[in-house]
Amino acid sequence: MLKRTEIQVANTTMLWLSGQDFLICNSEPDGSPNEAVLCEYMSSVDDDSRITNILDMIGSIASLDFSRQIETSDRHDVLDAIALGLNMLSEELNVRVVDKAKLDEVNAKLEKFAYTTAHDLKSPLNSQYGLLQLLELNLDPNNREASEYIGRLQNVNEKMKSLVEGILAYSVAHLKDVTREEVDWHDILNEVIEVDSVSNHADVEVTGKLPVTYFNRTAGIQVIRNLLDNAIKYSNKQRCKILIDVNSQDDCYQISVTDNGPGIPVEHQEKIFVLFNQVEPSLKASSVGIGLATVKGIIEAHGERIWLKSKPGEGASFIFTISKKSTP
Amino acid sequence: MYRETSKIKFAIGDDNILRTECFPDTVMTLEDGQESTRISAEMVNYQPLPLLCDLTNVVKMSQACRNHFSGPEHAKTFSKCALIVTNPISRVIGNFFLGLNKPLKPTRLFTSKEEGEKWLKSGMI
Repeated sequence: MLKRTEIQVANTTMLWLSGQDFLICNSEPDGSPNEAVLCEYMSSVDDDSRITNILDMIGSIASLDFSRQIETSDRHDVLDAIALGLNMLSEELNVRVVDKAKLDEVNAKLEKFAYTTAHDLKSPLNSQYGLLQLLELNLDPNNREASEYIGRLQNVNEKMKSLVEGILAYSVAHLKDVTREEVDWHDILNEVIEVDSVSNHADVEVTGKLPVTYFNRTAGIQVIRNLLDNAIKYSNKQRCKILIDVNSQDDCYQISVTDNGPGIPVEHQEKIFVLFNQVEPSLKASSVGIGLATVKGIIEAHGERIWLKSKPGEGASFIFTISKKSTP
Repeated sequence: MYRETSKIKFAIGDDNILRTECFPDTVMTLEDGQESTRISAEMVNYQPLPLLCDLTNVVKMSQACRNHFSGPEHAKTFSKCALIVTNPISRVIGNFFLGLNKPLKPTRLFTSKEEGEKWLKSGMI
């Protein structure tokens, strides 16, 4: 409320409002100030102050400070409705921010748990792998049944190892504080092709020059490895063909990895990057549904984007951005 | 059947619609919301009925209260809900309720009781 001090001079009342503004009101016949003029003035000053509060509140919300609440008047007018709306919006956002923080904490704990579990499983799985090899070596070559069982056990062991390694890679893919260095994507691609013997399974063609950018090198290798692996694993052609293309934009490069595979049905496209999601799980024994989720995690942890373009029967293109920023 | 609390008036008519209306300048808290649901459930004898809720006199509704009204307990008590909003404040509350709290039962805003009643009666046996 405005503070009001009255000074009477002859037939004129001078009002000193809120220690700031003077208002001169003609006096009523009985000597009192003209209340209608006074009310109109005070109302306009009050409205200005309410609008200022609303603007301040918008500023607070914009800077993600949801602790503030505006006082509403007893007029229940449009300004009160706006103030109430902003109070409610702030309250809802605050609840959601708190919920998200709790969820992030739980997710972080789960990721740590997954990493620890996968890490602890790695060692016994390696021992098991070694024992199976020894068993195979010492087996009577005529015992075909036992040989078949050992083969099956080795396949199961391989699959478990892939799963454990995938979970380990996925757990570290989401780390936000990745160290970046100057990486040549051409070198990364060559390294993956050589180490993984990609040319035994696919023809890889590059159009344009792959850029040099700031990225975590290990993570970059994982991205390229998983995308190539995905194209090879799901290929339905006699020879898998992979085309890697670079498209230079204003502030980033768009790198696309396109295959000549079966393509991905529209209904699966939205979930393709979700952990443990597989388009055709029964058909691909070596797939565990972690690779593309890991790629997305790495790309997003670097502040970049990845998306898919695909039509069934016409192959699939995975396109991701890499910033042109010249500093880590 | 008629009941009231210090903030809300409840009435069930022959048309089997529960009508609620608040006293002027009502501030609704979670406790008020819970009490309102409890009384309503007793009045409808735990058999879901349509609700015509006039928000005109409500000047504030807490986040927890909105959450309660959009939750399972309220959805068990009412089959559908027509919210009557006749001024800027009640419109804001109603729109928040529908937009952010997403009630589990069918809920719509109306600017007149007649429209709300018409919608509530549609599909009633």
